[in-house]
Amino acid sequence: MIKFKLNGRDVSLDVPEDTPLLWALRDDLGLTGTKFGCGVGQCGACTVHVGGRATRSCVTPISAIEGADVTTIEGLDPEGRHPLQEAWQEIQVPQCGYCQSGQIMQAASLLRDYPDPTDEDIDGVMGGSLCRCMTYIRIRKAIKEAAAAMKSAKTEGDHSNG
Amino acid sequence: MGKLERIAAQQDRAAGRGLSRRGFLSAAVGSSFLFGFARESKAAQTYPLGAPLPPPEFEPNIWCSVAPDGTINVNIIRAEMGQHIGTALARIIADEMEADWDKVKITYVDTDPKWGLMVTGGSWSVWMTWDVFRQAGAAARTILVEEGAKLLGIPASSCHARNGRVIGGSYSISFGDIVAKAKPTRSFTPDQMKSLPLKPASERRLIGKPVKSLDIPSKTNGTAIYGIDAKIDGMVYGRPKMPPTRYGSKVVSVDDSEAKKVPGYIRYITLEDPSDTVPGWVVVLAKSYPAAIRATDLLKVEWTPGKTANVTEKQIQDRGRELIAKSDVGTMIFNDKGVDEAFKGAKRVLEQEYTCASVMHYQLEPMNAIAQLKDGTWEVHCGNQWQTLFLPVIAKALGVPESKVKMVSYLLGGGFGRRLNGDYAIPAALASKAIGGKPVKLILTRSDDMQFDSIRSPSVQKVRVALDEKNTIVGFEHHATAGWPTEVMAGPFMEKGVDGKPYDQFAIAGADSWYDFGTFRVRAISNDLAKETFRPGWLRSVSAGWTPWAQECFLDELAHELGKDPVAFRLELLNGNGPEGRNKGKAPDSNGGALRQAAVVKRLAEKAGWGKPLPKDTALGMATTFGQERGMPTWTAGAVKVHVDRTTGVVTCQKIWLVLDAGTIVDPDGALAQTEGGALWGLSMALCEGSEIVDGVCRDRNLDTYTPLRMPDVPEMDIEFVESTEKPMGLGEPGVTTIGAAIGNAIFNAVGIRLRHMPVRPEDVLAALKEKGAA
Amino acid sequence: MIKRILTGVAGVGIVAGMGFLWYAWWPAIPKIAPVQPGQFSAEKIERGRIVAAESYCVECHTRQDNGGGPMLAGDYKMETPFGDIFSSNITPDPETGIGNWSEAALRRALQYGVSRDGSHLLPAFVYDHFTKMSDEDISDLYAWIMTRPAVHMTRRPNGFPLSISPRITLASWKLMFFTPGRYKPDPNHNAEWNRGAYLAEGAAHCGACHTPRNLAGAEKLPGQEYDGGVVDGWIAPPLNQNNPTPVVWTEDELYQYLRNGVAPLHGPAGGPMSPVAHDFLATVPESDVHAIAYYFADKAHAAERVSGDKAALEHAMADSKKDLVGFSTDPDARLYQGACGACHYNAAPAPVLGRPELALNNALWLKEPTNLYLVMLRGLTAKEGQSGVAMPSFYNALNDKDMARIAAYLRRTRTTLPPWTDLEKKAADARKLVEPPVNSSH
Repeated sequence: MIKFKLNGRDVSLDVPEDTPLLWALRDDLGLTGTKFGCGVGQCGACTVHVGGRATRSCVTPISAIEGADVTTIEGLDPEGRHPLQEAWQEIQVPQCGYCQSGQIMQAASLLRDYPDPTDEDIDGVMGGSLCRCMTYIRIRKAIKEAAAAMKSAKTEGDHSNG
Repeated sequence: MGKLERIAAQQDRAAGRGLSRRGFLSAAVGSSFLFGFARESKAAQTYPLGAPLPPPEFEPNIWCSVAPDGTINVNIIRAEMGQHIGTALARIIADEMEADWDKVKITYVDTDPKWGLMVTGGSWSVWMTWDVFRQAGAAARTILVEEGAKLLGIPASSCHARNGRVIGGSYSISFGDIVAKAKPTRSFTPDQMKSLPLKPASERRLIGKPVKSLDIPSKTNGTAIYGIDAKIDGMVYGRPKMPPTRYGSKVVSVDDSEAKKVPGYIRYITLEDPSDTVPGWVVVLAKSYPAAIRATDLLKVEWTPGKTANVTEKQIQDRGRELIAKSDVGTMIFNDKGVDEAFKGAKRVLEQEYTCASVMHYQLEPMNAIAQLKDGTWEVHCGNQWQTLFLPVIAKALGVPESKVKMVSYLLGGGFGRRLNGDYAIPAALASKAIGGKPVKLILTRSDDMQFDSIRSPSVQKVRVALDEKNTIVGFEHHATAGWPTEVMAGPFMEKGVDGKPYDQFAIAGADSWYDFGTFRVRAISNDLAKETFRPGWLRSVSAGWTPWAQECFLDELAHELGKDPVAFRLELLNGNGPEGRNKGKAPDSNGGALRQAAVVKRLAEKAGWGKPLPKDTALGMATTFGQERGMPTWTAGAVKVHVDRTTGVVTCQKIWLVLDAGTIVDPDGALAQTEGGALWGLSMALCEGSEIVDGVCRDRNLDTYTPLRMPDVPEMDIEFVESTEKPMGLGEPGVTTIGAAIGNAIFNAVGIRLRHMPVRPEDVLAALKEKGAA
Repeated sequence: MIKRILTGVAGVGIVAGMGFLWYAWWPAIPKIAPVQPGQFSAEKIERGRIVAAESYCVECHTRQDNGGGPMLAGDYKMETPFGDIFSSNITPDPETGIGNWSEAALRRALQYGVSRDGSHLLPAFVYDHFTKMSDEDISDLYAWIMTRPAVHMTRRPNGFPLSISPRITLASWKLMFFTPGRYKPDPNHNAEWNRGAYLAEGAAHCGACHTPRNLAGAEKLPGQEYDGGVVDGWIAPPLNQNNPTPVVWTEDELYQYLRNGVAPLHGPAGGPMSPVAHDFLATVPESDVHAIAYYFADKAHAAERVSGDKAALEHAMADSKKDLVGFSTDPDARLYQGACGACHYNAAPAPVLGRPELALNNALWLKEPTNLYLVMLRGLTAKEGQSGVAMPSFYNALNDKDMARIAAYLRRTRTTLPPWTDLEKKAADARKLVEPPVNSSH
């Protein structure tokens, strides 16, 4: 029995401990927003957060996340209105959309590490997330827009607190 | 009649529907113009996701309905694979009927004969739907205005529809209220349909205006449902065990003693496939997909391999060369009178060979399908691009009539042509049949998916030109050979050449260009060894993704040889002249002809700063095409700026410019997105991709060796659409077509080497530089 | 973590003839009646808990295979080339544990490597370090052990075939390689240094893994103290100035590593080092961990070498983005980009915690790719390394050739060292050490 936190809730799961987190999420927990792409941790479609860090769930054994805090695209924001999600809609990023859960989760961790990311930071961190529709231009643009939105929200927040 | 309409007509006939394409269009619209048309198939998925649709009280035709609360549903028979086609098509109908866009929803429907041809590819969707959806919208508007006018007590002639309301003077009533109160029942005959007045372009309020695509929100929060996300109670999981060759492998023995040790393993099934789609496949069933993965790894199967077990890409290409050398094989697409004389009497004949490597789809969602027998009907759940083609194959595999098979639609995690080939549905169906129709969810791992990808065939092309004493082109030949996807999967739908022989239009389109070459011969040849070795596939932009690699590069070589500027040289040739007036263009699809292509070339040269000096080893290169196919031209001109690193051989593309004339642009942002993606596909295939057949299959099995373009590889892009009110053409693929040749030409302009194999690899650049230095 | 010692014990046969019976002979210490837990004060038990934690008793005296076992009940499997051996039950159970041991018996075991019954203990029980422990610490430890739950459990029999009398063999080994004696403070150093040295050399037995061993399995002392060793197939990196990473292990880096399992510049602890931090040093007084860090920073002459760190860090930050930024056609770089880059990219001025910077990490700078391979194959669980975050297992995701490509690529682009050799074979060898952690596709 593996116990962990999923999108803020306690979860216990009775599956073999070498089960990839991806399939536990999709097939046992019913969260299909996380996608199976390459199966070898090289396309990024299965990216979720473990302890707040982007993690490729297709090659992460469920045993490795015992006690950890897992967030999927479904739990990134309770309303689905994370600044990245809003920017993604505003800029109309997705085409087929299959990679986009992973792109957004990867981008969320990018902004955590680099709140004001340079083009190099975007290259470096997002370079592992394949988009076969090649929406890269829009992903880059949306990340920058979300970063700006988060920054201004923070400034406003600081201001009102001050 | 465009090519696709011919395909549709052929397919309708083949399916015994006895309707021509035209007939289908009218019949489908006409026959359904009845109140309360019975909805046989449950709609699969409606976007935006959310509350279920209210009952469709008013269904003026099969394509749309209006509910009493004003919600408008538009039925989409095209596959949603990133082109936001549902939104674009719904815009057409909604604009014509004057709907309130905020109340429009779209539903991706399951297969049903009433929909007619269900295919999504070739950038055809908007072009195919344009007329029928405008008529359908006009029909709905006409009825709503009539009924609304009655309710308002104003003559219909004094009323008009606008933004979801019927307005007469200072009074108005909403579409929803009209449906609720009047319960409209009027119907039209097909002839009446055709004569309904359509709005003039100047009155369009949705088409061509910015819009947020209805499928996008669900693709940012994990709620979008793809085929791989489908779930049916009681389903088991399957994974195929792939034989060593695509064809001809026979199972000798199966040993599951190791597989049995995997908890959750159920059994294996050696498939018996009457449709011969998946010969030699074995399917492993398990209670979970990870168990199926492991058990399949551990299952030991011995096969007698097919005869192509040792075939290499070089053998296939050499076979292509042999075929091109024979003058009596293949099909003539153009074979102008006098072409042989032109070459015989030429002052000079120049010729070159160009080759392209195998290219893989790598659509991000691996192939998958769920099959089950439910209430006597076989349901196949999967994303698919050509249901009309594969539903009969599924029926044949299962040994049941087509009426007993239904394909349930889902979003596609990438199509790019891979899902035009529905082969992956067959093993799911056969596995389910083997266990009495219980639901089986079959998923290919990525390595399974790549092993038998329906690849873009490697190709060999030979281009020749005959020049007279004044260096005028008097004859031109373009010979192309590759594996033909349509021959393998949709043989009856092949086109006929000028010599009456069949050919695959998707293995030659692009070569049949709009240039005035005096006399022109275009010959397409099916590479039999390719066909025997793998299942050739349609891949984004099909042959228009590789025929320009030969013709457009060769034109630059020629321009260089003749001391002419490549842009000016092309403009000379795009003069609208040619045998039988074929380059003048025909209304409505190719109105304007070659002159419209010349116009995008001119505009491109201005935009890209053609002719201006650039830093050392950096240069522009350009190419021009007519997009996808002659019958549906999207006039396209592309330029790239590349830098060549002489020490590493790395070619970096710094910027791409594209100018396209695709007629009316229905969804400007969607058009831009498609073109951005297409151009980057072109770049990826030119510099990053390309596989190789080794031992009868592609050597690449995953991203460790197959390396499509990623974020850091993206150049700056500048894309422009010509403003036009002509009939809309396709945009899913034209973006791809010019990039490869433009890169080849730019490399030449930068460092003076000519590369004739795609993809361009650093080692090829270094070798060519070395050779040039030595020469 | 000290099982490697045994690999050399057989070599002792060479000197067995030199064993002296009188040296070999120790009397039994009489059994005592089970101790009443109530006789120890809470403070004493707590002090004992800390001593136990600083000695990692639980690690090697609790079964980990077969689904784990009760704490301190032994049966922890150590694989050796001569067969598997299993640790003793040290719970207060009188029959199967040490419930009838007196404090003196425990003291003699730790300080002299002799069991209560007078037999010699295998040096896998690192009494060459424990001998430095003070009587007071052992007394506290005794209080803690005797107040743990007694577990009636017998270990599996050792499969360790000594062809000659174990007593003589072990006595000979001790004669040659074992010098009993308590820690003697070094007056040239301050109290913190001496506290660190006392712990590191004694209870915490750092050298057991980080000092190379001779054929007889004894630490190569003096001479190669903390030059690095091998444990459970992992390389235990040098803890002295021979540590090859480009920025030095400062006291702060060491402290964070030992306390939290992750150092900001050098990255997370993997393999057998991870529990040292998380299960033990995270639970003891901060001052003790500081003292150990202080001691090793001095051992490695960190203060003298730290001046080069600024330049080394800048260099590493530039290396970190190599091929991840802008267009690259190098297939190895593209493999690295897809499989690793998203998590390991860093930008100046310094690595982000949670983005282990490979250009600074031991794994790339060691003589062999072992640790790099093992972490690629196994990944890190949320309990290992940096708490709460996990690294995936690439066991099925990268074949031996892929692993070799990545290793070669990183070595040539992120270090200044000569290339590793036989990379594909070594990848296959490393793979053999690892149970497939994840049932993923490929």
